[in-house]
Amino acid sequence: MYSQEIESLLKSKKIKIGDKILITKGKLQYAGILMPRIKLGDTSTLVIKLPNGYNIGIKYEKDTKIKKLEPGKPIRFKPAEAVPRKDPEKSTVSILGCGGTIASRVEYTTGAVFPAFSPADLLLSFPELGDVANIKSRKLFDLLSEDMTPQHWQVIASEVAKEIQSGVDGVVLMHGTDTLHYTSAALSFMLRDLPVPVVLVGAQRSSDRGSSDNLVNLVSATVAAAHSNIAEVTVCMHGSMSDDFCYIHQGTKVRKLHTSRRDAFQSVNVRPYAKIFYPDKKIEYLRNDYKIREKRKVVLDDKLNTNVALIYTYPGIKPEFIQSLRNFDGIVIAGTGLGHVPTNPTGDKFTQSLLPTLRNLIHSNIPVVIAPQTIFGRLNMNVYEAGRMLNEIGVIGNGCDWLPEVALVKLMWVLGHTKDMNKIKEMMLTNYAGEISDRNVVS
Amino acid sequence: MDKKINYSALRLKVGLELHQQLDTKYKLFCNCSTQMKEKIPIMIITRKLHPVASELGTVDIAAQFEYLRNRTFHYQVFNNESCQVELDEEPPHELNKEALDTALQIALLLNCDIPNEIHVMRKTVIDGSNTSGFQRTVIIGMNGHINYKGKRILITQVTLEEDAAAIVSEENGKVIYRLNRLGIPLVEIDTGILEGYTPEEIQEIAYLIGIMARSTSKTKHGIGSIRQDVNISIRNGPRVEIKGVQELGLLSKVIELEVQRQLNEKVKEETRAANLDGTTRFLRPLPGASRMYPETDIPPIVITKDYIENLKKNLPEPWTKKLERFKTKLKLSDDLAKEILGSEYLNLFERIVSTKKVEPSIVASTFVSIIKDLERREKVEVNRISENRFIELFDYLQDKKIVKEAIPEIIKYLAAYPQNGVGDALKELDLKPLTPAEVREIAKEIVEQPNITFEKAYGIVMSKVRGKIDAQEVMKIVKQMMK
Repeated sequence: MYSQEIESLLKSKKIKIGDKILITKGKLQYAGILMPRIKLGDTSTLVIKLPNGYNIGIKYEKDTKIKKLEPGKPIRFKPAEAVPRKDPEKSTVSILGCGGTIASRVEYTTGAVFPAFSPADLLLSFPELGDVANIKSRKLFDLLSEDMTPQHWQVIASEVAKEIQSGVDGVVLMHGTDTLHYTSAALSFMLRDLPVPVVLVGAQRSSDRGSSDNLVNLVSATVAAAHSNIAEVTVCMHGSMSDDFCYIHQGTKVRKLHTSRRDAFQSVNVRPYAKIFYPDKKIEYLRNDYKIREKRKVVLDDKLNTNVALIYTYPGIKPEFIQSLRNFDGIVIAGTGLGHVPTNPTGDKFTQSLLPTLRNLIHSNIPVVIAPQTIFGRLNMNVYEAGRMLNEIGVIGNGCDWLPEVALVKLMWVLGHTKDMNKIKEMMLTNYAGEISDRNVVS
Repeated sequence: MDKKINYSALRLKVGLELHQQLDTKYKLFCNCSTQMKEKIPIMIITRKLHPVASELGTVDIAAQFEYLRNRTFHYQVFNNESCQVELDEEPPHELNKEALDTALQIALLLNCDIPNEIHVMRKTVIDGSNTSGFQRTVIIGMNGHINYKGKRILITQVTLEEDAAAIVSEENGKVIYRLNRLGIPLVEIDTGILEGYTPEEIQEIAYLIGIMARSTSKTKHGIGSIRQDVNISIRNGPRVEIKGVQELGLLSKVIELEVQRQLNEKVKEETRAANLDGTTRFLRPLPGASRMYPETDIPPIVITKDYIENLKKNLPEPWTKKLERFKTKLKLSDDLAKEILGSEYLNLFERIVSTKKVEPSIVASTFVSIIKDLERREKVEVNRISENRFIELFDYLQDKKIVKEAIPEIIKYLAAYPQNGVGDALKELDLKPLTPAEVREIAKEIVEQPNITFEKAYGIVMSKVRGKIDAQEVMKIVKQMMK
């Protein structure tokens, strides 16, 4: 939006965004297309696109005159060509869009990126997909990954289940990357007895650029969905900074560990399930403990209690902070080291123990779960005094090597099934979707 | 070369795009060094590029062409000189202020208007030279001009952009690039269409624009630091773009050869690359339009009036003026004036000629021809000599404690013994100037030899007094004595 002064001037001259205008300022003249004003910068500065494609800003001042030269042409996306007919020899993969802009078309005037979801659009952007499988696709929603909620996970789970029931050979879910690993964990708990692969995929670099990782990731994810034998919820993302292979990560053991790199997603405490090589699309399995494709009926078990909090402990954390969480139905604490929070066994004058507060919460039937803020490694609450005391008051998590985010999702899911504290503890410590591994391999 | 070509009858039209690297501490969008010193890559990253669908439903012809070549790009990563930004693994940092200041100075020296707000754009590049698939570029000046032979040469725009990665090799679809050049600030200066000029004149115009950029003293020197693209057409025929003319001296030849090619061949609109001998080779079809869109990772930058006023107050002397001054006030020849402008000793030269009573042409030729000769022919390490030693050298010359003929020997001595002074050199080399009387004394026996010719006598005397007195003076003395 431009300043009010400019907006009303444009209105009086019947000038719209996209029109070709002439700006005169003293001796200077600039002709170009009037561009929308982005939120940043000075709203009293007119932005025009020059004939050579560059944008510049001209400050609107007393001596500035604007004239409409010609009306703008509306931007119309030429529809992509028809999809090739279904090849009975090929597997069929359903690609569902949840947002992010992994597949999109660019409007070069504004640089606006329009998400592409139809099979035709997908094949236009990534012709290689057609070599891998017959593609079905549709959009579930168009959401920034950070705006995703547990309610969205439930919608996704039931839509994926529908696709599977329709008989496809695999499902690919295009998703923004920020919270992709929360969704993969949630689906891992909510979709039981999967007969086919469900593969989540995203892109770290925007899809307007020729170098985007979207192509390699989406093609590899489609290969995993169409041809791999891993009938689980997995995440397919770049394995390195090069465009050479993707990893297929176990959905409950993967985390975004870098803000921007292509290989931001890493398996934690386990090896990835497989590598998909690009461009030859070969699958190399790195483990053999996954559930394999089998004819069976998918079970949708999507009950959640979302009234759960996830917090970090830190030096100087106040018991009042923990106390303020008493209106939640469950709390996950990302503890330090092997699974600790301040307990002050030596009676130091500065330290405030969280033990009494935690004990009260647990006594009032609020489960407290602990997970490692180190991300990597397993909790062991027998080694130090603090761990032993937390274990004793009923904090859940000793011996687990789960990620804090996975512990959060699991607690929501468990609380969706029971309110009984013993049952909660039993379910939390039961390995449902590989979220707790028995042994940590050396790699 | 056929000199009879009448370029104005052919309606030769040329557009110039000059690219000058800036010598800033950091790159344009990250804090990597711009030095390009590293030789051995620490790792190699391989990438593919793919065309991006646009609202047009198709990708443009140039992009498609590149895609069909089905290439894999290998990027060499260098310590200190490439980070995750060059690898397109991290968004760009804020625009480098030092680079923006310098680019704006150049635009102001070229009499440009500066936009009130500048917007960084993404220009699609799909040859792999940018890891992102686009080059970041921003217009910082428009509608400028320089004067040439009483006419105005229009500068349509000045842009600040990131330099591309440098190609190392290309074989069987495997293209290797060095990442350390990617992201070095580059100023592009575009002229309007130059019509009615000969190739030599166009080369001179390019030279004048180039030295305007270098007036800021923040430009890089050496091979590849300045590159020129030329658009050439004749008789309103197709426009051919020639990329990467790395030596200014080659520009007129490139234009002449291209005009001949356009006269002899059926010409298509295309982009060609300049070879080292001035010929060109086909590169790709001319890129289509609509390949530019906003870089949303960098917010627009407001250029305030105060900022511009402040830059204007501190503008350096334009080198076109300096060149004129060197020629008129310092009486340097055009060649010598241009050579000293291009020399790394320019500042020292100016300091010496402004503070000492010495012939500027002697100082200039010391820095351009004598030093270059010594470096090239005798491998003398002149860069071991400090600025103060050079100043001392010209003090001696000013005070007539040495003659100019002694300069090469003294420089050789100073390079070998950088800790010693000019006085030490005089002692060691016995270069104390001789008076005409002393020369006569030495010459006496020689000219009196029976049947000796003037040439022989002069040669023998010179061998005994070289570097201690002006050769002209010796010639005069010997001539006189043999009369």
